Parts: sequence; C-alpha cells; structure tokens
Amino acid sequence: MENSSPAILELKNIHKHFGANHVLKDVDLRVQSGSLVFIIGPSGSGKSTLLRCCNLLETPDSGRVLFKGEDINLKGVDVNLVRQKIGMVFQSFNLYPHMNALSNVSLALRKVLKLSSAESQELSLAALERVGMRHKAESLPSELSGGQQQRVAIARSLALKPDILLFDEPTSALDPELVGGVLKVMRELRESGMTMVVVSHEMSFAKAAADHAVFMDQGKIIEEGTASELFENPSNARVKEFLATLKHD
Amino acid sequence: MIDIDRLIFSFFNLKIAEKYLPLIAEGVATTISLGLAVIFTGILVGLLLSLVRSQQIKFINLFIIILVDICRSLPPLVLIILFYFALPYVQISMSAFTSTWFALSLVLAAFSEEIFWAGILSIPKGQWEAARSTGLSSWRALMYVILPQALKLTVAPLTSRAIAITKGTALGSVVALHEVLNIASSSSSEAGNATPLIMGAFVYLIIFIPFVMFGRWVESHFSWKR
Repeated sequence: MENSSPAILELKNIHKHFGANHVLKDVDLRVQSGSLVFIIGPSGSGKSTLLRCCNLLETPDSGRVLFKGEDINLKGVDVNLVRQKIGMVFQSFNLYPHMNALSNVSLALRKVLKLSSAESQELSLAALERVGMRHKAESLPSELSGGQQQRVAIARSLALKPDILLFDEPTSALDPELVGGVLKVMRELRESGMTMVVVSHEMSFAKAAADHAVFMDQGKIIEEGTASELFENPSNARVKEFLATLKHD
Repeated sequence: MIDIDRLIFSFFNLKIAEKYLPLIAEGVATTISLGLAVIFTGILVGLLLSLVRSQQIKFINLFIIILVDICRSLPPLVLIILFYFALPYVQISMSAFTSTWFALSLVLAAFSEEIFWAGILSIPKGQWEAARSTGLSSWRALMYVILPQALKLTVAPLTSRAIAITKGTALGSVVALHEVLNIASSSSSEAGNATPLIMGAFVYLIIFIPFVMFGRWVESHFSWKR
C-alpha cells in the first residue's frame, strides 16, 4: 500500500543493544503526518525502546532517524532543538514536583525559547485549557490525581507546539476510572490533526482512533497494517495469540 | 563529698574569668571568621565538583573520586599539620590560619561533593528525561529541574557535616593559630586554673548551638511532599 502523504518521522534499519541484549533488530517505522500510529506487543518486545529512539532518548546503535526528512541521529545535530518539536508523554508523568502545573508547562517556554513571562504564561494557560486543566494551574503535582497529572504532562509538551507527540504507555499507571479523561484528551488531539505515536495496551482506543498499527515481538515488527486489519484480522499467529490474551482483561 | 568551693575556685573563678575574657574574645573572632570561610569554600567547591561529576567525563570523574576519597580518609589534623609544616619544604609557606582553612575546606568539600552527588543521583531518571524531552539542555535540566530537587535533600546532611568539620577550627591550636582553644588552654596554663578552659567550652557552645538550631530549622523548612 503506497502512501503519498509525507512521512514526518521515519526510522530505518534501527538496531539497538543493551549490553548483550539485542533489543531492536533492523526495525523500520514510518509515521505519516497527521496520523496516529499504535505500537502493541508483549513486554520486552522493544516497543518503548523504539518509541524512545524517535526523540533520541535512546540512541540507536545503527540506523537512521529521519524527522521531516533530516537524519537526527548524526553527530552535530542540535538534539535539544529537535526535541522542542517532538513531544513525549511518559507512563509515570514525570512532572517536576517542586513547581506548580503552570510552571511545569511554561519552563521550556521561559528557559529554552526565552519567551517573556507574560507570553509564556499565556501560551501555558492555553495549553492547560486544551487539556481541561486550566483551573488547576496553581496546583502542585502532589495535589493532582494521576489522570490530572498526565493531562498537565500532555500540556507541557503541547505548549511547545510540537509536530509530533510520542506516548509511552500513557495510561498504564493510572487507576481505571482516570484512564478515560486522558484518552479523551488524546482523542481530541487526534481530531485536531496532531501526529501521534502511541505505545499502549488500550485496545478499544486503538480500534477507534489508530490509523496504523504495528505489532512488535522480540525486537522486530511482526505485522503492521491499518487498525482494523491488525486487530480484527491479523495473519500472524503470534499476533492472534497476543490479542487473545488481551481480551481477558 | 564534692567541695563546692574548690570546684568554683578551680573551674568558675570570676576573678580569673574577668582577667582572660578580652583575650578569649579575640580568639572568638578568629574562630568565627575561620568557620565561615571554611563553610563557604568547602560547600562551594563541593557543589562545583558534583556538577562537574554530573557531566560524566570518565577521566575527570576518576580524578574527583580519588581526591574526594583521600580527603575523606585523612584526619583533618594530619592535613593541617602537613600544610603548615611540610609545604615550606617545597617553597610554599602558609600561615596557621591559611593551613587550617585550606585543610578543613578540602575535607568539607570532599564530604559535600558526596552529599550533593547523592542528592543528584537520587532524583529519578524520569525527571531528566522529561526535562530533556522538552528541549532543555543537560545544563538547564540540571539547573532548573534536578538541582532544585536535589538541594532540598542535601541541606540536612550538609548542615550536620558542616557543623562537625567547622568545630575542627579548634585543631588550629596545634599550629599555634590564635583561636579559642589555643588561647583558653595557654591562659589556663598561665593562671594555673581551669577556668579559662571552661570559658573556652562555653564560647564553643555559644557559637555552635545557634548553628545547630539553624540546622534544625533548615531541615524542617526544606521538606515538601513528593
């Protein structure tokens, strides 16, 4: 299936070792602009590592990481500059505990983009508004529920107006009743045209929102296709086996 | 039966106390200025060393670790004596004040570096990752995200370590530094009476109890919920 849309992010021939462990074995990933790519697979399959290669939190041992056509996995590339445009949302939120929600969101605007405090406050409040957390701007992370913290974390990435957002199991650490709030925000981002790559076990969300889905096992992409192809009618036995175990949740 | 009169005569003799008070007061100035100088340089150098260490340059880190381990293992007194008596043989001459200050600063710097480093290390990796993911450089992540969190953890152990090492100003008496212990002990010899020594002890209490209380305040002030 040929895609004529530009690929905003492309990983080619990615290899990664952790010591003797060959975690990513010649992996290719293509993310079209405006799409939501879902990565599923058993733990240890390398999906988080692959996601973290996208913003170079992990550096591939070999292979190319093409962001908007440019290989960012090269010496001399200003990774900090690139990371302003590739946002990341973590399983454990990682909000800065010594700052309130507004400061968490505005830190990069003030210290990296060097915006005035008025401008960075305005942009930050807008980002918090977008995730429904504006009313908690003055709250410390310790005063927020998990779902609220995660939404502030999303706002923190959004404030920089990134071209792509990476989600590393964004709801896995949340109590079940808080998951919906975060997924709602993610759905709204999807609808507004944000390019997203999501590692997650949230199958119903994937079926509803993903454009492209990728199944990984033991460091390789075993099968990929549209969400309905992969989830309803996978051809690979290993994928069928994995999806069957998830149904028991 | 304790003879109270003899006790008071030997240890709390007002006449002798009056006579030696001005001398001991001079010593207080030395002790306090030395103490403050040691705290300032010791903690500052310790902090700088820990920041350098966070850059993870293997060769430099090895050097820092060796330096720190040596300074933590040597008794401060040995360092003071080395600087005062041995350095002149290589044409470096240090006054009693400088030798004591330099030796105690090195020791405090070594312990401080370890305390700051432990603080930095204890910050979860996720904090670094989140900060770097929003485009903050390693340096800015350290300054705005990591250090503010790490410093709150270091204040308590730093204060107690600073108190312990600063009391070492009394060691300067061994190289004839005119600080409180030196003056108190020679005054006691001269007077043939223990009162000046008791005065010296009181002076240390007066200087350090506020320091210790400050340490307690700092400990309770710098705790926040995670």
